[in-house]
Order: sequence, then C-alpha cells, then structure tokens
Amino acid sequence: MTERRLSGVGVTPLSGVGTAVWYAPDAELDEPPAPESVDVDAERERFETARDDARAEIRAERERTAERVGEAEAEVFDAHVQFLDDPQITEGVEGEIDSGLPAEHAVTRTFEGFIEQFEGMEGRMAERADDLRDVRDRLVRVLVGGDRVDLASLPEGSVVLAERLTPSDTAQLDPERVAGFATVTGGRTSHAAIFARSLALPAVVGVGEELRDVADGSDVVVDGTEGTLVVDPDDETREAAAGGEDVEIRDEPVETADGVPVEVAANVGTRTDLEPAAARGADGIGLFRTEFLFLDRQSPPDEDEQYEAYLDALARFPDGRVVVRTLDIGGDKPIEYLDLPEEENPFLGERGIRRSLGPDADLFETQLRALLRAAGSDEGGTLSVMLPLVSTVEEVREAREVLESVAADLAEEGVEHAIPEFGVMIETPAAAFLASDLAEHVDFFSIGTNDLAQYVMAAERGNGRVADLGDYRQPAVLRAIRATVEATEGTDVWVGMCGEMAGDPDLTELLVGLGLDELSMSAVTVPQVKRAVTETTTESARALAERALAASTKAEVIGVLTETTQ
Amino acid sequence: MPERVVTIVPEDGLHARPASKFVEAANEFESEVTVGHVDGESVNAASMLAVTGLGAAAGDEVRLTAEGDDAEAALDELERILTTPEEDL
Repeated sequence: MTERRLSGVGVTPLSGVGTAVWYAPDAELDEPPAPESVDVDAERERFETARDDARAEIRAERERTAERVGEAEAEVFDAHVQFLDDPQITEGVEGEIDSGLPAEHAVTRTFEGFIEQFEGMEGRMAERADDLRDVRDRLVRVLVGGDRVDLASLPEGSVVLAERLTPSDTAQLDPERVAGFATVTGGRTSHAAIFARSLALPAVVGVGEELRDVADGSDVVVDGTEGTLVVDPDDETREAAAGGEDVEIRDEPVETADGVPVEVAANVGTRTDLEPAAARGADGIGLFRTEFLFLDRQSPPDEDEQYEAYLDALARFPDGRVVVRTLDIGGDKPIEYLDLPEEENPFLGERGIRRSLGPDADLFETQLRALLRAAGSDEGGTLSVMLPLVSTVEEVREAREVLESVAADLAEEGVEHAIPEFGVMIETPAAAFLASDLAEHVDFFSIGTNDLAQYVMAAERGNGRVADLGDYRQPAVLRAIRATVEATEGTDVWVGMCGEMAGDPDLTELLVGLGLDELSMSAVTVPQVKRAVTETTTESARALAERALAASTKAEVIGVLTETTQ
Repeated sequence: MPERVVTIVPEDGLHARPASKFVEAANEFESEVTVGHVDGESVNAASMLAVTGLGAAAGDEVRLTAEGDDAEAALDELERILTTPEEDL
C-alpha cells in the first residue's frame, strides 16, 4: 500500500507513530417531545443540578491541569465556568425550557446561537466557539448521562483523530498512551494546540475534511514538524517519525560546563506520571505528592497500598532519588473521611505537618511505616521523606520522634525497614529565617517556590489581582531562596527546589548561581532544563545570581535576566 | 453615572485570559458595570459571553460605566486590567 499524506498545521516539533482511534464526543439528541408534556419546574431543576455538576467537573479538571500542565493552561477552565454561569446563557436556557423544551434541548438551542455568533468573528475570537462547544457538550452529557470514549484509558500507541479536541478532552489525554493527535479543525493557537505543546504530544490540527476518510484502526504517523498526517506510512517515514524532537532527551545526570552536577528531577502526583517522568530523562522524583493516594475515595489507603505505590516509584528510578512528601492536606481540599474543618483562611490554617502532628497523627504514622518499609526494600533508588509546611524547629523534632518510634515498632515486629533521608520543605518565611537551625535536624531542604512566593509576598496564588506580587521573580523571594541555601553552606545538607520556578529553563542559570543542588519540575521541561544546566558555568551563574540579588525591584530582576539572554 | 474611556493594552485584546480576569472582577463589585466600544453598544461587563462578543482588540478605545456604591473602585480595577500587559496580569 502506498502512503498518503494529509496536510494540516503542526503544533509541536514532534512525531508519533500509532493506530488511528476516532473520538466522537457529540451526543445525538432525540427529537424533543411535545411542549405540553414537559414539566417546566422539573426541567429547570434538572438544568440547575447539571450546571452545578458541570461546574464541579470543570473545577476538578482545572486542578488536574494546573498540576499536570501549568497554571497558565489551567486558566481556560476559569473562562468555562464563566460561560457556564453567564447570565445570557442562563436566561436563554430558562426561556427555552419555559417554552416547553427539555433541559438538554434548551441547552443545545441556546448555545447554538452564540456559537454561530463567535464563528462569524475573526481570528482568535472564532476559537472561543470551541470553548462554548466544550461547555455545551459537557452540560448535555451531564444531562443525558451519555458515555464517550474514555480518553484517559486508550490503548497504548493510539493516535486520536477528532473533529476537534476541547481543552477538557486534551486534559484527559494520557501522554504515555497517546502517540499523538490530529483534528479536522483548529489552528496553531487553539487550546488543543497549546495543550499539545505543554504535554509534549505530537499533533497536527486543521487537517480538513480529508481527515474523515481515515478509517479507525489505520496505521498513521503524526508529523508535527511537517504538519502532516501520513496514512499507511512506508518504513522510511515510520523510522523518521520514531526519531526525536529538537531538544535532546538526556537519560544520564547532567553537570554544568565546568563539571558541577545538578540533579534534574520530576514532580509526580499519580502512578501514571512516573512513565512520562522517566521518558523525559528525569534523574529521579523531586516531589512525590502523596495527596493523590488519598483523594477521590471513601477511606484512606492502608499501609500495604502505600508501600506498593512508593515501591513503584523507586523501581522506576533504580539509580535515582525519590523524594516523598508526607500528606499535605488542609481545609481547601475535599476529603470526606477526614472531616476537615471549615477555616476562614485554609492556607494559613491547620494543614500539612500541622495536621500530621495533630488530628491526622494516625495517618502520619501509617504513612511513615509504609515509607520506612519501602526505604528498606532492595528495590531501586534512594527514598527520602519530606515534611510540608514546616515553620518551627519543634515540628521537625517531633516528626523525627514519630519516625524513630515507628522504626522501633517495625524492628520489634521484625519487619524489614530502613531510616530514609529526612528533609523539610522550605515554603514559609519562618522556615527560610530558621534555615540554619533547621539544617541541624535534616538531611535536605526542598524549596517550594509556589507557596514560598505566596507566603513571603502575602499574595494568594490563584488571585489575579495580586499575581504581580506573587511572582517568584520578586527580589524578596530570590533573597529568601538565597538565605536558605546560604544557611546550609559548610554542612552536608543539600538543597533542592520544586515548584514552577524550577521548571523554567530561562531561570536555570540563576538557580544554579543561587546554589541549588537539585531542581524538580513537571516532566515536560526536564530536557530543556537539563540542556540549560550544561550550557552554564558556575562562574557565570554566580555572577548572574549576584546581579539578580542586588536588584531591588521585580523589573530590575527581569532586566538582569533578559540582558544575559540577549 | 461615573464613566471612563480606556485604551486596551493586552496584546490579544479583551479576550481569553484578560477577558476572564475582567469578567471575574466585574462580578466582584456591587455596582452594575457596562463596557462597549466608544462608538458602539454597551454590554454587561459581568457576562463573559457579552464581553468576549465585543471583539475588542488591543488599541481599541472602550467606555466603562458603573452605577452603585463602589462604582469608582470598580472602574479603577477594571481600568487596571485593561491597561496591564497580559504577561503581568
């Protein structure tokens, strides 16, 4: 069979080979019933319930996307909530219901008009039509309870073909299983394209009507560099596609040009994040957020279940380090079985280590038992335990005592175990000020820049009005980082960083200059940061850090950072 | 009724993220706020659909009006959003 090339717009410089899977999410609705048979009050109530459920879904996907991809990409879901709750939409749907339509038909009809209006507009405005379709499809699905192809559990090596992919669709795509995607519509700046770039997925959009002729199950190559979808590719095309992207993936640890090693690790939440982390060349896990083991269930995971999860991570990085953060939960996270109190300001409330040494003492003990057992197994790399939201020396001492009593129990029971590396997150100003005292009690620090910036600047993360203040390029944040590193000089304590700042390749040189030993980030940017490490020298990095630390405004910091890249 | 004419700074116009922030802010004030092109129709600033539907681009002049106890504060905040480059928002 000879190959066929369909051209579209490539959105990532990546290629993928796989099997075509058509994804058709649009629910077909039956003809509406006679208006007089419609119970208007009941339909209005159905609509309101569906809207509440849809809103909860969107918020959950927003969290998931912020975690997996980044805050900027997650913000599109804020717009979705605004469309969902838009007064014009609500009026329109209620009006249609009052005229005798069931809720799902009322939704479809109301959205149709607005979608057409946006499609008639120019350029990027037209792409908002995608957002409206996304919100409409979600509402209709919630109302009629229809199923769709589960994008989160496609067979490995799937190339997803679709009319279009909404932000919610792409957020579910598991990069480990999906070899790429191609769509009939969409442009370079469509949400699908942005997500593809963030998740490093090969993708071609805007292929046009021809794409519809590609049968389910066909062999295809998505060539994001050329912007083509190749059907029934010959061997040569296949091999070329199996090649790489422009940034080399380095599986081995890297060092600066003058030979100083910098560990580049990945942040993970769930088991499914492990494979992409390894595939992108991470040296280890710099932040294993264990909350995900506890969310979306009726009771906490038991010791054995946790032990297995930690072993999995260790097995994936046989030569690396896996830093596990103990449960970091507070009043802002919904966990039914924990009976979390309503707090006026959960970010300044009982959370993280405060709960582990208080109401969640049992959970903390169970988690430590699982961790010590995993540390004692001969599976893979080094296990490290890290405490979140530390603000006093007593907390560290007390946690250490719990750890030692857990170790004593295990020894008495004759259970194999080991004492893991023990460290704390530096994410409160208190911890940064106390760094030299804390250093006497731990093996390592990891600076959590998202929270550190929030607490140092007293600027809430999700609040756009203070986003300028909460920026990690604020001089006060840089100085808190530097103070933390400085406090460890002359000790054996190593200092890492997890948080968005660590994954910004434009800041790698600065962070090396500030003296960080390890950087941990979402898997996607690992290759870029590794490259940035190899391209710097300690001398130039230190000089850069000195200039940045001397800056007294954020604008000056940015000035220092950009003058070197030009 | 307090009003103000503002030239839009974010590169992409009143669209996507800036629009989202704008609507979010408009919803936080008690005052009824409208926005529209200086020579065109004004729409409810608290409606994402209406605001995005304006298709206001960078460099366009828009008129903001606000009616209510916190009208001036609302105008200050909305003006700030419209005059802040997207990357700083």
